[in-house]
Amino acid sequence: MLIENLSGAFSEVFSLGNLMLMFLGVSAGLIAGSIPGFTITMAVVLTLPFTFGLSAVEGLATMIGVFVGGLSGGLMSGMLTGIPGTPSSVATTFDGFPMARGGRPGLALGIGIWSSFFGGILSACLLVALAPQLARIGLEFGPWDYFALVLFALTITASLSGENLVKGVIAGLLGLLVATIGEDEVNGVARFDFGVDALRQGFAFLPVLVGLFAFSQLLSDVRDVAAARRPLMEKSAQAVRVEHLKAVRQIFRHWAQLVRSALIGTFTGILPAAGGSISNILAYDQAKKASRNPEAFGSGTPEGIIAPESSNNATAGGALITMMALGIPGDVVTAVMLGALLIHNVQPSPTFISDNPQLAYAIFVAFFLAHFIMIAMQAVCLRAFLLVVRVPMYTLASVILLYCAIGVFALNNVTFDIWTLFVFGVLGYVLKTLGFPLPPMILGVVLGHVAELNLSRALAISDDISLFVTRPWALFFLVISLFSAVFPWYQARRHEARWTLFYFPAFCAAIVLPLFLMEGVVRPILAGALLLIAAFTLWRHQQAGWQLPPRGSGAEVSQLRET
Amino acid sequence: MQTRINRDSVSAVFLLLFCGVFIAASFEIETTNYGTLQSSVWPQIILGALSLFSLLLLTQALRRPPAPGEGGGLGAWLRRYRNPLICYALFLAFLVSLPVLGMLLGGILFVLVMLTILGGGKLAQLPLHLAIAVVSVGAMWAIFTYALGVFLPGGIILNLQ
Repeated sequence: MLIENLSGAFSEVFSLGNLMLMFLGVSAGLIAGSIPGFTITMAVVLTLPFTFGLSAVEGLATMIGVFVGGLSGGLMSGMLTGIPGTPSSVATTFDGFPMARGGRPGLALGIGIWSSFFGGILSACLLVALAPQLARIGLEFGPWDYFALVLFALTITASLSGENLVKGVIAGLLGLLVATIGEDEVNGVARFDFGVDALRQGFAFLPVLVGLFAFSQLLSDVRDVAAARRPLMEKSAQAVRVEHLKAVRQIFRHWAQLVRSALIGTFTGILPAAGGSISNILAYDQAKKASRNPEAFGSGTPEGIIAPESSNNATAGGALITMMALGIPGDVVTAVMLGALLIHNVQPSPTFISDNPQLAYAIFVAFFLAHFIMIAMQAVCLRAFLLVVRVPMYTLASVILLYCAIGVFALNNVTFDIWTLFVFGVLGYVLKTLGFPLPPMILGVVLGHVAELNLSRALAISDDISLFVTRPWALFFLVISLFSAVFPWYQARRHEARWTLFYFPAFCAAIVLPLFLMEGVVRPILAGALLLIAAFTLWRHQQAGWQLPPRGSGAEVSQLRET
Repeated sequence: MQTRINRDSVSAVFLLLFCGVFIAASFEIETTNYGTLQSSVWPQIILGALSLFSLLLLTQALRRPPAPGEGGGLGAWLRRYRNPLICYALFLAFLVSLPVLGMLLGGILFVLVMLTILGGGKLAQLPLHLAIAVVSVGAMWAIFTYALGVFLPGGIILNLQ
């Protein structure tokens, strides 16, 4: 069965047409990722309209190409000019730029490229190994559990996306509300159409997404009149010859760093909302703590490049695990991919891998392949990047705005979709300007139907609402939702308030109950271990006289994020 | 006494009004004699939570003074958001004129005007902007029409299909 699925996936992914699309996708991602202010999400969102006419495999393979290319593209500008192309390559700049400026730009680029490659490949292996296992767990979920999982995804996105949890939750609720407009899936009744015929069908996902994300982002990029007229990058950079062999040798010398960072990246990616922008800094911080020469960090040490670059590419694999196994997007990019699957009438859910094995395995293969293409295309795209960054932002924004209009029109061939794009473009910009994070809103739009459908199914099976807190998985997700909602306060006050010392032990102790209620042997054993960890942590705090951690510990991560 | 009206408090009041309108509209949703979950229940749950969090935002906002840089009058606001406002106005004009001009002509005009206004309105740059508009929109139009088989709006003037 596995061989059959894999060979089917190989023949689709390695077809000439698909290979060409992937080369294009990776190249576009590399260039887009290298342009400061042009995020990977925007590149993936803008790729979506081109995929309507393609098969599901071709469409997703192209988007995976853009995703992988974008994650690796950010290092080019970061190393050559000191300005990271994407938030996921911020930490790469700390050592990549000094190394390049110190006369070794070829080696710096080489280490970055190959770390991205190895990090991505390691996470691809984890994707293949973990996604089917996690999907098997997902099959245990009833509608109560799935509803609680959606709540968890929204809560953690709201708490991690912005400084203000209340604004994050409001954004998520607005997304859920947008998803209710139009005919409801359960009873087929029109809602909030206000007498407008076009609203009866509801808003198509793509125009909402492009409007909220790309349209509003472009307008933010051209808001400053003077900056919009300047070239994308004023600092000059020159094409360099990448030192592949030396770079690979350096990486093998620090293989433990690579594996640790790739694991950090993958597991950060599995968490909804935690993407490459968090993982690269987390990995850099951990690499510095584990290094024998922490004082060398910041001056151009290879370890300082290996850690962030391997972790940010590994994040993609982690995000794909959550998307494929549970049908929940790990970040905004995978939310777009979920949208692409819906366009091709594929419903993401825990049964996705078993229902669509060929497509699932094609995603695995495409993810592997995209990393090889990335290596091949990096040198070519480096030259293209040096040309593109001479263009002023207003030129790019004008052309892309029109492209957005054409792209969303192509979905259903109706002008109403361009109106939707316009309205959500205004809404996205206003919300962003007022400090409301957009990722929770996008997730709300994507997951709104899933939440309502599962709530309805749960009530159809039983009118006992206590099942939402008595079923182990539902309780598990509700508990971690609660703790993720409190997390911003914990993070802000962990050096000041004594109650923060109880946060981690309380979290461990709280998830023990649902784990004990679960079937099997492994999970109750895990629950016992967590209980011991909670007790041990409390004992250590008590031994230390309930002292709060000093400002230096862990604060470096938040400082790095601010940088 | 320092005024407590700030950006967040205005947003919260607006959100509460928005919730009011939608809650009223949710009572207009048809009630069916089938299905376990009425179509209005889920939106009402969301709106209830949204109202609650909007109230929380209002309370939060009223407890903090306006951030530096907030306010400054209409003139300053218009100056600050000049480019986005121009973009929206031009996009709206493009959208309204779409049935007449079509995607190709309307698109070229939209990109050209956008480039000219955002680029500083220098006449010397006009040929370059025109070239960018024609080439980029023409290429996109050709790709979608011929390669992807999408029938973009032709418009009354050119009537392209």
